[in-house]
Order: sequence, then structure tokens, then C-alpha cells
Amino acid sequence: MITGALLAAAAGAIALSLMASLRAPRCWLATVLASTLPSLAAAAWVLVSGGTWEWRSALLVGGESMHLRLDGVSALFLALLAVVGVAGAAYSREYWEERAHPVSAAAGRCWWSALLLCMGLVLLCANGLHFLIAWELFALCGYFLITLDGQRREVRAAGWLYLVASHTGTLALFAFFSLLTARTGSWDLGPMRERAELAPLFWLALFGFGVKAGLFPLHIWLPSAHANAPSHVSAILSGVAIKMGIYGIVRFSGWLPAPPAAGWVVATVGVGSAVLGVAFALGQHDLKRLLAYHSVENIGIILIGVGFAMVAAAHGQAVWGALALAGGLLHVWNHGLFKSLLFLGAGSVLHATGTREMSRLGGLWRAMPWTASLFALGAVAISGLPPLNGFVSEWLVYLGMFDAVNQPGATVVAAIPAIMLLAVTGALALACFVKVCGVVFLGAPRSPAAEHAHDCGPWMRGSMLVLAAGCVAIGFAPIIFWTALHHAVVAWQGTWTDVPAPESLMTLSLLQMALAAAALAGAAWLWRRAHRGGWARAGTWDCGYAAPTARMQYTAGSFAGIITEWFAWILRPERHEHRPEETLPQRAAWQEHTPETVLERIIQPCARVVIWVSAGARRLQHGRTHAYILYLIVGLAALAILTLVWGR
Amino acid sequence: MNDLLNLLIGLAMGLNLVALGTSRLPSLIRIAALQGMVLGIMPLVMEHELRVMLLAVAVATVSMKGLVIPALLRRAMRTANIDRDLDPLIGFLPSLLLGAAGMIGAVVLARRLPLRPEHHESLLVAGALASVLAGLLLLIGRSKAISQVCGYLILENGIYLFGLLLIHSTPLLVEGGILLDLTVAVFVIGIIVDRIQRAFDSLDTRKLTVLRE
Repeated sequence: MITGALLAAAAGAIALSLMASLRAPRCWLATVLASTLPSLAAAAWVLVSGGTWEWRSALLVGGESMHLRLDGVSALFLALLAVVGVAGAAYSREYWEERAHPVSAAAGRCWWSALLLCMGLVLLCANGLHFLIAWELFALCGYFLITLDGQRREVRAAGWLYLVASHTGTLALFAFFSLLTARTGSWDLGPMRERAELAPLFWLALFGFGVKAGLFPLHIWLPSAHANAPSHVSAILSGVAIKMGIYGIVRFSGWLPAPPAAGWVVATVGVGSAVLGVAFALGQHDLKRLLAYHSVENIGIILIGVGFAMVAAAHGQAVWGALALAGGLLHVWNHGLFKSLLFLGAGSVLHATGTREMSRLGGLWRAMPWTASLFALGAVAISGLPPLNGFVSEWLVYLGMFDAVNQPGATVVAAIPAIMLLAVTGALALACFVKVCGVVFLGAPRSPAAEHAHDCGPWMRGSMLVLAAGCVAIGFAPIIFWTALHHAVVAWQGTWTDVPAPESLMTLSLLQMALAAAALAGAAWLWRRAHRGGWARAGTWDCGYAAPTARMQYTAGSFAGIITEWFAWILRPERHEHRPEETLPQRAAWQEHTPETVLERIIQPCARVVIWVSAGARRLQHGRTHAYILYLIVGLAALAILTLVWGR
Repeated sequence: MNDLLNLLIGLAMGLNLVALGTSRLPSLIRIAALQGMVLGIMPLVMEHELRVMLLAVAVATVSMKGLVIPALLRRAMRTANIDRDLDPLIGFLPSLLLGAAGMIGAVVLARRLPLRPEHHESLLVAGALASVLAGLLLLIGRSKAISQVCGYLILENGIYLFGLLLIHSTPLLVEGGILLDLTVAVFVIGIIVDRIQRAFDSLDTRKLTVLRE
């Protein structure tokens, strides 16, 4: 009852914000806040109480009566949507402001509200038809947000690619829901695990939702869309929108029966996405593109958790299945928080310097202390280092897989390599973020733009602080969030009710806080010591170079060179080399670029074949009526022969 | 009775070949008119007793197909003031050969079709198929708009022959309606031809390819 009232208030406020978006920016921000707070409260209420809110109405939409439902799984995603939605809205107030973008600022606000509304509907709809409608609208809102800055060619190309990929996924979902309806006889969704004949439909759902989630071979749209969208849009796309794909996979693997191999496939795809996502990230020189590939990686980590949970559900192993799923679901929150934080941080850098190219940045720590420290906090979190939240969720996934190793059977063989590859992923992610922080924030500025950077204003800083606070809260006190996770797990698999909180979670809480306190104390002690002795500035030892320049620094490419070399078999870096040859060489150059291999080496050649064939077919249409009549005769004669020969 | 009918159909089929072989626009129009008149008297031959309605339709067909439509076409030809040569896309000899092959094919096909016993003896189906084929050949193989109208007329004659198969079950009023449609169509085309000539200074339909998109 409370939940319904809260959600109704949220819906009313978001409708108001849609109206306010075009004329009244302040009013818009207030109404977005007014809609996210009640929805956050509703989600929290469902997660804490563990109940399920259902609402059926006689109101017909598209010939089907409305059926909304909020349970643990959807509430988890709704909470994330509310937090990131309001943080991004506040950020856009300064980042995409009226003066700099007179036309697209208002459009951006409008589509932002629409996106929040549609994603909320996707989470709430428990009717296949309405789910599809909300899904399609949500994808369209995403398109308009990505192409807000439609003047630039690459933005339009990215938006187009997003739209095409998104609709390919939606096509699979159309097939999924139609077949589901054909077999069950109703559009209504809900738990139907006992109907084994529905199991093969899972593959369609995995493909359709997988495109949106951006798991490895289906991620082609993700890097360019995330890199070219305005940063607050990248934040919500990466933080929440791709999680809708995860929501779909979790939702329908929970409601429908899954084929026996599904868990293994999901886990394998997850491992592949994790390792290859981070490998591609290491090869990038564009700050936001790099972050986008990290989304692929983190989606992989989430899917490892979900996949192992599905395996556990198939084998009836409650304890480690619940741990793996809780880890995956907590990583949904965590990735949503720290990736949005990182994208907003990257947006601040872009806002201050006008470039995303890491080889033009450098030394921003001094000019932008807030952005740099918040970005570094996000980097620690995404690398899965204690004491922040990334560590907690990966820890839960690890715990689940460690327990899986103890079970007899095939799970051992799968869990051990998965553990190792997850560890490799963590290490590579750390290397990647050392590279980012080192190249962007440390060292000397590589371009005048980086030299004259300025820190972001209060709105941008405030929204980043909110997200950072979320990261710290989950990192320090994961035990608080266990109840919510437990209820989400029970909503996924009703029989897993008596799974206790892992004892190590409490220890982990204490450890993380102790670690943070120790780090703070150490920093304070160093600070005091430094101040007591007074400052003395001196030049760094410069290896004998009398006049070092900013160009004599590690670049993004050279820093990651060794690791990208390991993955050259899939990254396929394109290199242009101009070696110094004479005794006194005039010029030398070295360029390296990592393409989007799946898109450029597989999809585009296939697309070229299709275009070539259709261009050939187009030559048949030339406008000469005589030949058209000839086509008619040939067609008629073919039909006549067909009926005369085979018709008998 | 049947022999007379077959003779008339054979005449129409022969006219098809003449139409394919002719190289002058006025003679093409004349042939189409003649074929229309031959077709017009066929209902009289097929029916045993003479009815007023039947007579009226026969008279109307003959006058429309034999007099009114050719007159319209000749007028269009005169006002457009075009070259009387036919400008073929498919040469006259190849069209003749194709027409003859189509005729033989039509006869063979008509024998293989599952027809009612009373139609087995008559050449109606074969003649209809041959006329349709000849009309289509003219449509494909001639480039002037007026010659295409003639092809269309011959094609329509073929369809009319098919219609004669059902003479006992189709009210003649329907035939009359079709005839009226045809006349109006030719009338309209006559005007369009004039307009095309004025706008483009040519009636060559090969040049009308811009509207393909």
C-alpha cells in the first residue's frame, strides 16, 4: 500500500518534470528529485520488508490490462535508477547548461525525464506487451540522449549504431515475448518455472537482453555510444541502461525455466566479457571509450555471478548459488555507482579541457583536485580494491565460486578457471586505472588545454560526491545491504530463503573500516610531518636531461604496451610507423590505434556483402516500363510452369 | 457453327502475327481495329438464337473497337504529329518468330489445360493466350506510346476471348461495361499522348525513366 502510494507520487512528479523540462530548468530538477526520492523509498521498502507489490488495473493499454509488480529483483534496479537518475540530472544542470547548448539543453532535460520514466516502467511492467512497449520507448529515449550533440558526425554515427543494435536486440525480444505468449496463452508475466517446455526461449532472451547489456560479442554499439554521448548520458547509459539488459536476464532466468546449459553459457560469456572487455580497455586512448570497455568487463563480472547462480539453481545448491547471485546483484549497484562516478569525472575533464584524448591531458591533479580525487576513488572501487564497494561484490562472487569448488561434480572444473580469470580481470583493471590516473592526472600537462584546466562547479561536484558516498557506504558496511540482497535473491529463487549472511561479511566490514581508518591516520601523520618540517621545493632528478618536456612522459599507449601485446591476437592494433633512419633524423612517428575488432572485422565485412548484393538487385529497377512488363511475363510464366509441373 | 467460330479465331490469331510484323503505326491501328471487329461478331456466331441484347452488344463492340477507338488513336497520332515508323525495341522478324512460337505454345498449353468438354474442340483458349502473348510482346517490343496502346488493345482482345468461354454465365452487360472502360481509357491515353508530346517533344517511352524511385 505504501509502495503503491510512493510509486504513484514518483510517477506524478516525473510527469510534472516532463512538462517543466522545456521551460523551467530549476523546476525540472526539483521534480526529478521529487520523483526519485519516493521511488527510492518504495524500492527500499520492498527490499527491506521483502514483500512484493502488485497492482492490477482494469485500465486497458493496447488491449491488455495494466499489471505492475515490484519485487526484490526489480526494486534493486529501481533504487539504482533513482540514485543515478538524480545525480545525472543535477550534473547536467552545470555540464549541459542552457548558455552553452541553447537548443539541446531543454531537449536533454525532456528526454532525461522520459528515459527515467520508461526505465521505471520496464522495471515495473509485468505484462509482456507493456514490457515491450516500455523497452522500445526506453531505447528511443536513449537514442535521442546520445545524439543530443547531433552536429558532430561521429555522434550521429554512434547514435545510428546504437539504434540498429538496440533494434536487433528488440527483434529477438519480440520473438521471445510472442513465443512465450503463444505457449502460455497470455501476455501476463510471472513465475512459471514448472513449465519445462518454455526453457528454450531463454536463448532468445539472452540474445535480446545481451545486446542491451553489452556482453562481449554483442557489445559493438557500446563503446562509440558511451564515448560520444554527453557525459551525464554516458553515466546513466553505463550505470543503469545496460543494467536493464542484466535485469532482463536475471528476471527471466528467475521466472522461466532455463535450459540445462544456460548457466554455463552465461558464466562463460561473463568470463569472456570480463577478460576481453578489460583487454580492449587497455588498448584505448580515448578516456570515455576506455570507460565504456570497462562496462563490458563489469557486465561480465555480474554475469559470472548470475551464471553460477543459475548453475547452482539447476543443481539445487542454495548456499553458494545465493552468494554468487548476491555478488552479481551487488555488483549491479556497485558498477552503477562507480561507473557513473567515473563517467561524470571524465565529463568534468572533458568540460575543463575540451578533449577526451588521454595523450593531450596530464597533470590535472593540481588544477582539478576534486575531480581527480573523486575519479581516483572511483578507480579504486572499479579495480576491486579494498576498502571500497567493488571489492565487496567481487568478494561475494569469489566466495560463491570457492564454495562451488568444494562441491562434487563438474562445477569444480568450471569454477577454478573462472576464479583465475576473474582474478586476472581484476589485475588488468587495476593496471588500466593506474594508466588512466597516471596519464590524465599525474605528470605534466601535455597540451595548453590541459594546462589551463579548471575544476568543476558545485553541481557537478555535488553529484559526484553523492555517488562516491554510495561507493564508500557499500564498501564500509556491506552487512547493512545484505538484507536487501537476500530479499532480491529470494525473489529470484523462492526456495533459497534460509541462506544466512556469510560470516566473513561482518569481518570484511570491520576490516574495510579499519583499513580506511589506518589509511586516513597514515595520511594525517604524513601531512603533519610534512608540515612540521616545512616545505622545500626542488627539481626532480631528471636523468641527466637538462630540459625535459611534457612529451617525455609515458603515453597511454606506451604504458599499456606490454599488456596489449599479450592480447594482440584479438585487439588487432593498427600501427603506423615511421622509424628514424638517418644519423640526424628529421622526423619519426609512431601511431597505434585499437579498432573495435568485432565491429570492424566481422560485422562490417558482412554488412558490405549485404550492401553489394542489394546494390546489384537495385539495378533491376531502372524505370523502363518495357522491361517491367517483361518481368511480369517472366514471373507469370514461372508461376504457370510451377503450377503445371508441381501443381498436379 | 464451331467451325465458323474457329475460323474467326484463326483470323484473329493471324492478325496478331500481322500486328507483330507491321512496321507502320496506321496499319497497326487498323489491324487492332479489324481484330476488334472480328471479336465483336463472335458472340453472334456462338449463340443459337438471336436476342436483342446480344445484337446490341455485338453492334456496340464492333463500333467501339472497330471505329471509335481507332478514330481516337488516329486523332492522337495526328495531333501529336509523330513519325509513322514504329521504332522497335525487338526487331520485326524476331517479334514474328516469338509471336509464332507463342502461338504454338498457346495451342499446346490449351490442349493440356483441364477444360470443360464443350471447349475441347474450339480454339478459344489457344486464341486468347496467343493474343495476350502478342499484346505483351507489342508492349515490350515497341517504344512509341501509341503502339503500346495498340499492344494493350490486343492484350485486351485476348482477355475478351477468355471471357467468351463464360458467355453463358456472364451477363453481357458486364462485357458492355468493360468495353466502355476500354474506350474511356483509350480516350484518356489519347490526351496524355498529346501532352507527353508537347512536354517532352517525343513519345519514346524509353525516355520516361526518371520516375523510377
